[in-house]
Amino acid sequence: MRVLLVEDEKKTASFIRKALQAEGFAVDVCRNGNEVADLIATTPFDCVVLDIMLPGRDGLSVLRQLRESHHPTPVLLLSARGNVHERVEGLNAGADDYLPKPFELDELVARVRALTRRGAENRATVLRVSDLSLDTITRQARRGGTTIELTTREYRLLEFLMRSAGRMCGRMMILEKVWDYDFDPGTNLVDVYVRRLRDKIDAAFERKLLHTVRGSGYVLKDQP
Amino acid sequence: MTIRTRLTLWYGCVLFCAVVLIAILSLSEVQERRERFHRHDRGMRELIEIMLGVGIPGAALSVAGGWWLTRKSLAPLAALTNAAERLNENTLAARLPRSHNRDELDRLTEVFNDMTARLHQSFERIREFTVHASHELKTPLTILCGEAEMALRDESLSTAERERCGAQLDEMRRLARIVDALALLARADAGLVELKREPVALDELVHESFADAQILAHAQGVRVELREVESAAVSGNAHRLRQLLLNLTDNAVKYNTPGGLVTMALRNKSNQAEFVMANTGHGIAPEWLPKVFDRFFRGDPAHNSDVEGCGLGLSIAKWIVTAHDGTIQVESIPEKLTTVTVKLPVFLK
Repeated sequence: MRVLLVEDEKKTASFIRKALQAEGFAVDVCRNGNEVADLIATTPFDCVVLDIMLPGRDGLSVLRQLRESHHPTPVLLLSARGNVHERVEGLNAGADDYLPKPFELDELVARVRALTRRGAENRATVLRVSDLSLDTITRQARRGGTTIELTTREYRLLEFLMRSAGRMCGRMMILEKVWDYDFDPGTNLVDVYVRRLRDKIDAAFERKLLHTVRGSGYVLKDQP
Repeated sequence: MTIRTRLTLWYGCVLFCAVVLIAILSLSEVQERRERFHRHDRGMRELIEIMLGVGIPGAALSVAGGWWLTRKSLAPLAALTNAAERLNENTLAARLPRSHNRDELDRLTEVFNDMTARLHQSFERIREFTVHASHELKTPLTILCGEAEMALRDESLSTAERERCGAQLDEMRRLARIVDALALLARADAGLVELKREPVALDELVHESFADAQILAHAQGVRVELREVESAAVSGNAHRLRQLLLNLTDNAVKYNTPGGLVTMALRNKSNQAEFVMANTGHGIAPEWLPKVFDRFFRGDPAHNSDVEGCGLGLSIAKWIVTAHDGTIQVESIPEKLTTVTVKLPVFLK
């Protein structure tokens, strides 16, 4: 998997590159908005991480240009402007995801991973991870033959985690997808919900499925 | 007594005296001349006749004229007073119309306009500074957080080092949240935040936030009760309204005591949606109440020194409510009950 990182701030570019490389991505770094189009035309990238504030063309105009020429590469926008509408503006311009600065590195890596695997997203109606199953039509969860009662929110959380099974889901990502929040509320809402969900699906079983990732997110997977 | 009345009275008095003086002088002149031809004794009566016939209507007319004149000349002063009364941090851009006749009042208007212009400029500078500062802080914060996260990934780190690094990262993230909230408020102050509004079912949001409140409260040993919820649609931005409800919920739980209670209710009262959230706990002393919406206000320092938070939640809540043309009010009976009431206009098709 090859990622193009467009970021003019050297230090930021350096740790994003390191973090992505540690996860097995090949990373090309570009510092100027004017060079992006040429790079993309000559090299096939699986994902572009694009900062909005750039010397030369700014990120949004690079993105529009890319989409006008019907380039399908998934784009993750980064921004320090923190404009409330920027997210909407970015998504309208053709971005696949948006992450405000300062972000958590794991969150960024998780999003890049989600974007590069997007085609392979699980669209089944009954989701399975090990002996845990979730029927998305009857909204019923079962593990090892017992039915698990879930509230609406818990169901949405479990569905999201199961659809991204094996991948780390960051707190912001969970807040966005399950709560529809586009801001960090500064509460431990996600952790408390995950703890409750864990009580329901993992507590009575030897094999744990819902794991915490170094304090920045969660992953649902079969291995420890 | 206003300047206008005083001036009018003085003007009237002076005119009256002048008329009397002129009458006396001209009468004595006329009498002297008549006396040279034949003796006459109608002098006193004539004087009174002239006084009554000319002096009083003249004086009345001059008083009316004086009143009109002073009113006209003092009108800029009244306009100035009204303008100064209307002046607040949001109306600093307005200027008073000037007469340009270079009199004292025109000069005063000019000075007043200059003063508001200078005030406006310094307000703008502070706003711009906050917008830029919060933006400029984000890049170094991104780098700091990123470096700390990279350091944490190093497997060779000892447990103590790992803990120290983790604690630093936690504080940096807290700082990031404060900067984020500050940036939002600064942009809102500068009028740079536009809210896309659409019909939103407030009752649904209240039900959702009730579910979250239960979860948040459970961890603190606090009970949450949902009183009546009437259906109410408002024209608003769902994201911001969710943020509003979560901020209020968060406060109601945080500033509670174990075993305490939080209640929520939504009523639809004649075109107004009224959301009421009440919580037990130490509450807010009357002297602190006017400050609850101030930035970085974190409650009575006697009780809340160990409560986590940045003190911007209620400022943001207030901004969200105001941006939705609503009102927010906090009342508190210390050690008993604190009530937050949000009123929003109902969406009319």
